[in-house]
Amino acid sequence: MSGVRFLGAGLHTHLGRGVAANLDALERAPPPPVLTPVPLGAGVEHVPSMPLCDAPLTDFETRLMRVAVEVAEDAIAAAGLTEAQRRETTLFVGTSSLDISITEAVYRRELAAGLDAHPLTSNSSMGNLGNELRRALRLGGPDFTFNTACTASANALLYADAMVRAGHAKTALVLGVEAFNAITALGFQSLDLLARDGMKPFDAGRRGLVLGEGCSALVVGMGDGKGFRLQGGANACDPYAISAANPDGSTIASVIADALRAAKLDASSLRAIKTHGTASLLNDEAEAAGLLRVFPAPPPVCALKPFIGHTFGACGLNELILLCGAVERGFIPGTPNIGATSEELGVTLTQAPTPVEPGAFLLNYFGFGGNNSALVVANA
Amino acid sequence: MREAFIHGCGDYYAAVETDDALVDLKPLVKEATGQPVRRVGRFIQLALIGAGRCLGGRKAPEDTAVYFTSGRGDMEVTVEVMEALFRDGEAPKPLHFINTVSNAACFYISKHFGLHGRSTFLCNRYFSFETTLQLALFDLASGAVKHALVGSVDIVTPPLSVQRRRLHLPPDTPVAEASHWLLLSADPNGARGAITAAAVFGDRAAALGLARAGSATAGATGQFGDGAAFLHDAGLPETFDYRAGRAHYDSQSGAVISAFLDKGSGALVHVNADPDGRYGVMLVRTAPP
Repeated sequence: MSGVRFLGAGLHTHLGRGVAANLDALERAPPPPVLTPVPLGAGVEHVPSMPLCDAPLTDFETRLMRVAVEVAEDAIAAAGLTEAQRRETTLFVGTSSLDISITEAVYRRELAAGLDAHPLTSNSSMGNLGNELRRALRLGGPDFTFNTACTASANALLYADAMVRAGHAKTALVLGVEAFNAITALGFQSLDLLARDGMKPFDAGRRGLVLGEGCSALVVGMGDGKGFRLQGGANACDPYAISAANPDGSTIASVIADALRAAKLDASSLRAIKTHGTASLLNDEAEAAGLLRVFPAPPPVCALKPFIGHTFGACGLNELILLCGAVERGFIPGTPNIGATSEELGVTLTQAPTPVEPGAFLLNYFGFGGNNSALVVANA
Repeated sequence: MREAFIHGCGDYYAAVETDDALVDLKPLVKEATGQPVRRVGRFIQLALIGAGRCLGGRKAPEDTAVYFTSGRGDMEVTVEVMEALFRDGEAPKPLHFINTVSNAACFYISKHFGLHGRSTFLCNRYFSFETTLQLALFDLASGAVKHALVGSVDIVTPPLSVQRRRLHLPPDTPVAEASHWLLLSADPNGARGAITAAAVFGDRAAALGLARAGSATAGATGQFGDGAAFLHDAGLPETFDYRAGRAHYDSQSGAVISAFLDKGSGALVHVNADPDGRYGVMLVRTAPP
């Protein structure tokens, strides 16, 4: 049966370049983070991070576009889009930091050169990244850039899929883009939310996040019956607090319930759940409470941020591609010795690659600014 | 596409002529929201003012979705953080860092007006208001949302000479800050007018097709591209000039809808164009007498 499907994907994370390399790495335990030096005044701060594999943290003025275009071209090639189809493709970008890594690099360079340097003079347009990507990829349709923190690329996919289904876009290219930048690195450090020994979601030893870099691309369009599709999804604002969801889980449960309703599924029909799992005290508490409101006896629950770090606005699409790819290989990823017991939060994570059949899967994402999203994907 | 009915408009506009001419927004925030709001900068203040004026003291339904855009975002906070970090060698302060997240403004709007529906912050280089409106119309037409609060904000961050450098404007170009908001729903009862369509086209012929199909009697051009030539080809006189005397800010096309409802009548086509030959078209009409 034909319908709107995921037609081709591209991915570049700390685990590797290309979807296959990333999936191979998911069959092993998560790697440890590295400490990345960030100049601050006369000194250097070292922050735990998971930077892109084989993409040194140099040439910041060109690096982001180079990586994003390569990943997008991978997805376009996998989907077999022709030049004519590119001209009818609409671009949906999800990102938290936009092209701030480029802007930072220009400002740093101009300061060092003793120029009359001011931030944001090279670019201050929020739509610039989407515009430049659209041009570089020769796409003729409109472009929409979603900037809703950690739900950004999940929301981008939600709209891309809906617009293709409604006939408002023939084909959609969804991009998740997040590159290392000093503001994000030192901002999270100032919030004391970084964990040097890695991310441990739902674990009694959780200490916060690791800064991940990731770039992903997904072509969405009409396809045959095989492969994954977006079955449904939901988004809502949680006005509880600007940097955390309601710890009683009510607002998270609500968005999950909305997503299941949109997918026309009940909670018992899910094969597994991919958590947002940022390993912060507040997120995991709220997410566990929310999950248990909807799933008194949850299916297998996994977390992907231990593998690639928190890739912020790109985590929606990055983690969706990882999960779908793993399921297509017949397993849910596992995180040994992370979230192994349910004493504190009532939720445990898969501890090893766990066999799974085709079916429907829930993916959660919650962002600063009280933005909560949940997606349901299916391949059966 | 089905029409979305306009039940409220709210605007703020102020040209900024000197570096120390920024208006104190605190009293306007209190007037618009009914309470003082502390520890937020101009960007969030302008969002609250515009949205508050749009709601006009009414209680919007709790499931009202928020669609928000900006051409340049919260430059004030981003500049502060970047200067502190790179020029002065100081780490970002926690609240400043959190407020660099663009949808922080969506949070404050949702919190102050009691909303917990969908929430989206969207960007586009030349068509920020058009694409954001397009998304809201799409959701209303599909039934995904029943009510939508759609808005834009752009601020000025002095010194003005640097503001113009950031916006790549010629020296001495007048600059302004502004906030434009609409309250939309699928319910025609009591509406002030309607938006028939908002879309961005890569194909000029398709854009002209939409412009011609709307039974418009007047045209207006945005600040980007040669909209006048487009309107001419669409057979529409450029009769509604909402930009006369208006200083520059990116999301200026957000001003046309309330301006037309206030001063125009009938149906209007508004067009912006980008250097790549794409067109952002909005169709709006006033309510029948």
